[in-house]
Amino acid sequence: MSFKYVGKPIPPQDGFLKVTGTATYTFDLELPGMLYAKLVTSTVPHARIKKIDVSRALGVPGVVRVVTGKEYPYRVGMYAGDRDLLAIDKVNWVGHPVAAVIAETLEAAEKAIDLVDVEYEELPAIFDPLEALKPDALLIHEKMEEYRHSPAFKPIPGTNIANKFTLVRGDVEKGFRESDVVLEEEFHISHVSHCYMEVQNVIAHYHLDGTVEIWTSWQNVAPVRQIMALSLGIPHNKIIVRIPYVGGGFGGKAGLGWEALVAILSKAAGHRPVKLVLSRKEQFSTAAVREGFHAFAKAGFKKDGTFNAYSVRFILDAGAYADYTVNVGRAVGYSADGCYEIPNINVESLTVYTNKIPTTALRGFGYPESHWVLEQIIDRAAKKLGIDPSEIRRKNLVKPGHSHTCTGERLREDAGDPQKVLKTLVDEIGWGKPSENPPEPWKVRAKGLSLFVKGPAQPPNAAASAILKFNEDASIDLLIATGNFGQGTVTALMQIVAEEFGLPLEKVRVDYVRDTHKSAYTWQTVGSRGLFTDGIAILKAIEDAKNQIFTVASEVLRCPKDQLELVDGEVRVKGKPWEKIPLQDIVMGYTYPNGNSIGGPVIGRGVFMSTHTTYLDPDTGQGNPTIFHTFGGTAVELELDLLTGEINILKAVEVLDLGKVINPLLVKQQTHGGLIMGTSISLYEEIKFDERGWVVNPNFTSYYLVRIKDLPREVVARYIETPQLDGPYGARGIGELTMIGVAPAIANAIYNSIGVKLDRLPMNPEYVWRALREQRPDLVEEAWKRFSKYEKIVEVTI
Amino acid sequence: MSFGAPYLTLPEFTYHKPKSLKEALQLLNEFRDEAKVMAGGVGLIAFMKERLLAPNHVIDIKDIPELKIIEYRKGEGLKIGATVTMSEIEKHDIVREKYVALHQAVKAGSDPIIKNRATLVGNICEAIPWVDGPVPLIAYNAELEIMSVDNVRRMPVSEFIKGPVEISLEPNEIVTSVYLPDLPPEAKSLFMKFNTGSEFALATLAAYVNDSKKPRDARLVYGAVSTKPVRAYEAEKIILTNKNISEAVILAAEKASKEIDVISDVLATEDYRRHLVKLLTINVLSRIFEVG
Amino acid sequence: MGRWITLTVNGSKRRVEVKDNEILLDVLRDKLKVKSVKAACWRGECGLCSILLNGKLVKSCLVLAVEVDGSEILTVEGLARDGELAPIQRSFIEHGALQCGFCTPAFVLASHKLLEENPSASEDEIKESLSGIVCRCGTYYEIIEAIKDASKHYQVRKKV
Repeated sequence: MSFKYVGKPIPPQDGFLKVTGTATYTFDLELPGMLYAKLVTSTVPHARIKKIDVSRALGVPGVVRVVTGKEYPYRVGMYAGDRDLLAIDKVNWVGHPVAAVIAETLEAAEKAIDLVDVEYEELPAIFDPLEALKPDALLIHEKMEEYRHSPAFKPIPGTNIANKFTLVRGDVEKGFRESDVVLEEEFHISHVSHCYMEVQNVIAHYHLDGTVEIWTSWQNVAPVRQIMALSLGIPHNKIIVRIPYVGGGFGGKAGLGWEALVAILSKAAGHRPVKLVLSRKEQFSTAAVREGFHAFAKAGFKKDGTFNAYSVRFILDAGAYADYTVNVGRAVGYSADGCYEIPNINVESLTVYTNKIPTTALRGFGYPESHWVLEQIIDRAAKKLGIDPSEIRRKNLVKPGHSHTCTGERLREDAGDPQKVLKTLVDEIGWGKPSENPPEPWKVRAKGLSLFVKGPAQPPNAAASAILKFNEDASIDLLIATGNFGQGTVTALMQIVAEEFGLPLEKVRVDYVRDTHKSAYTWQTVGSRGLFTDGIAILKAIEDAKNQIFTVASEVLRCPKDQLELVDGEVRVKGKPWEKIPLQDIVMGYTYPNGNSIGGPVIGRGVFMSTHTTYLDPDTGQGNPTIFHTFGGTAVELELDLLTGEINILKAVEVLDLGKVINPLLVKQQTHGGLIMGTSISLYEEIKFDERGWVVNPNFTSYYLVRIKDLPREVVARYIETPQLDGPYGARGIGELTMIGVAPAIANAIYNSIGVKLDRLPMNPEYVWRALREQRPDLVEEAWKRFSKYEKIVEVTI
Repeated sequence: MSFGAPYLTLPEFTYHKPKSLKEALQLLNEFRDEAKVMAGGVGLIAFMKERLLAPNHVIDIKDIPELKIIEYRKGEGLKIGATVTMSEIEKHDIVREKYVALHQAVKAGSDPIIKNRATLVGNICEAIPWVDGPVPLIAYNAELEIMSVDNVRRMPVSEFIKGPVEISLEPNEIVTSVYLPDLPPEAKSLFMKFNTGSEFALATLAAYVNDSKKPRDARLVYGAVSTKPVRAYEAEKIILTNKNISEAVILAAEKASKEIDVISDVLATEDYRRHLVKLLTINVLSRIFEVG
Repeated sequence: MGRWITLTVNGSKRRVEVKDNEILLDVLRDKLKVKSVKAACWRGECGLCSILLNGKLVKSCLVLAVEVDGSEILTVEGLARDGELAPIQRSFIEHGALQCGFCTPAFVLASHKLLEENPSASEDEIKESLSGIVCRCGTYYEIIEAIKDASKHYQVRKKV
């Protein structure tokens, strides 16, 4: 089947606005009469607020109001419902907002925050989730039982556990007894920041009539409205949430934002619009980041490499608030088995409060975490068993149509071709073919593999919808709420519409503003689901519109509907292309020569609703959590400096079974982007805390991001197209997938070649250097000799 | 009080843009502690945003003609005025050919956009332990020219930087230029930095030797490892007293990594830095003496 | 309390009253409404506020407005001529050298400046010249391709 648009490398449709600097972000917006808010944040990690004195701050010219938490003691959230707008009586981390100054200018607000005097009575602070789990640990959330949480989660009041996820399948103890090799390993991950370039910023206007208008740099409109409606008690149709272009999200602009707070500030400031813009420092200390993590894993294998039993305990360092992280904890848990069939498996995943910065999802939603553990376990087992890492993977890979995942879901026949992913990966990296020797003899070159699978982490009833509206000239306005923060999804969706109607792409328009009032509902664009869910909804809307068009045309052309087709903007009778009506003569209703009219404006509607997903059983974690699985793999060839611990990626290969590549240009761009972000997080990124709980590197100088000069030397992206039959043109999601395999592939390369285990992220030079010295002093010694021994003896005159 | 310094705006001050050095010095003499001198502004504006500085007066010296000069005179050396930017230094032929360590430090010092505003003198006056600029200057025994309304003095860069953001400058003084002595034709100098996964260096080394065949004068200056750049005097001696230079390079590296002051901070621990000192020393010296 | 300064912004002369402590970035965005100039760190690390100030690329978050009285400023809004995109702008679109787009104005402007000065820039030179700007979406490979592809137009232009 040949297509005009689908499968073609169409440039991003918002490119023109972006290269001319005319794409509008919330950051660029101002409203008449707008005020500026600035947060006063806690300087201590855990304390009761004794007193807040705002009198000096109110004396700053231009300051309109100072708001404190006690005045508006709302609890807000999506999943755990644990968050305050401003600290109510206790601060729980360094950076916790305790008050907000509202002023005529940002300068006045910034001056005034220094003059808000807060008196604290300090409490002991807990920085390690393992400490927080001890029976005598101080409680960070004393009234957890009062929080309104989603039924998918199990908070445990009286402890610091925000969610306990349990999964049981088979008999893991028996599994271990029947295994020939049993490994026990530990892994750790540090906190990282999303570092989207556009900081979190919000404008809220709480009108006197009770209507609230929001402009925000967030991924999705619907959850913002839902959270505000539920926590502030405002009817949904009185909240209008608008999102223009968004300067990056990466999961950090899903979940809970600042909209409810800024709405309250607008109300408090006499119903004038208020804008809050976080500074980069606040992004690192006050906004939510990706959680830290410990994992304790035990894995049993049979001699032939069969993965027989797996028991893993994940402890997430969720920080002071875990509204969204409880769902990350759940996803870490149910993705513990990756793409392998493991008959006996036990998982416990605890999302634990500590007195650190709150946390949320980051590109991959728990899957990078679970795969960091699992994919290294596989390589360690392979070495113990003397089996090649690609072979042990081949042996244990799930078989779509036959295998069950650890939640007991039978994988659909058309879920993808993991064996082909593995084979392509192995071929592209030249697995089994030794690397060339590095020019410097104190370095080693190595190759590593990692496979992965992911589906969206979402509630079972997460819906999507689309409205498709024709204009007089048969151009189309597509009213969708699909988040548009850089992924290319919207361009792909426009291609589908143009393809289906046989119209030029220019005839399809998606407005850049998402609007709860004007866009069709979609639950969220997260978890790589946008193209899949919203694509399906759009295809249904197209079908609906076509049906309306054919109904009219069939009357006009006096021909049954099933004999009609849409070609090049015309409705034609099949086999008689001269019997036709141009689309523009139908889409507003057809008018006969005498003026009689039939039909009417064509508006297509379509929905996506998942039919087979379920909640997971609270005791066993069994059920169907997701709507598709995308299989993929990452392989790297790297060079390791044994003396400095530096890792240099020479080649990175990414293979994904996408079902159908709708836009090869943008899919490649996503893949490259994920590989780069994955490299950055694997090697360098880490939020560091000191003993007081202060973030000590809240800027891009001391928190390093990979830049243009640090790219992997060569990248290869390969796609397999095993169609998912109910996906749009067979497609599955991709956005987050591209990042998951990078870290384990790097660690595996080093483990395979020199046996050094890298258990924690990031694998920065100093950490790798230490690991090398501890685990392979002989190699380091040898490298040192090679480095410091020169054959050429040079003499000088003294 | 809030955590950190989350400000996007600057504290208030009065801005002055004198047209002559005399005028600048008079202004500074008048305002003294209340004033800060601005050259490129890169450091000053960032420091003011962080509220590490909040002067009432900012004296911008960019319009003063004599401070824009970079010139080399045979026998005298290289003079770099206070407002000469890093980009101008990097493009300067004499710097590239003769003062190689300085060229390398400037090249690696920051990104090219920042370098269009940042100045070497500003870099020295910031005295941030991680910056690259002062390190080669100390290796060249460079001196600063410092002026006030009634005085001109010279001071070695090594003495001028006293500690983190601490310099030997009176409130009414301006650093007008940095002077690098002329170098013998056989002189060799190199700069190297380790900053993988970091914007700021974890360790740097600028080495200077008067003649790689007949070393009489050698200086090893390490940056980013301590609260200010430090010299490895004992290691220098090893180079000057050992006939077998291949061996001396290794011994000097071992020595340097032990003798100098090294600290742990947010970027690296003391252990790792001492190790990097050793590696940098071998790398740099083996290039200088061509023993690699 | 303010002073009036005159700037030529993308070819048009603008007079604006500024306070001594106002940052050029804020004056451009808030007072002159030049919104292509973005900010993500406010301290010279991300490069998103880069502009051409009298022909030189600078990060406008580290420049005072008062110091640039009389200057000429070019931002990405000023690149298109007579309704025609500059070749580098077209190339960014064609190569998909943008994702969220927030850093795009800075990258486009810096790439344009690079190619005007050095139309045959090597890959290393491209990387060096753009090392001060951050694209978190990681569109770097595409940006490099876009610049390489656009360079032919600048080579011709330089010859003319």
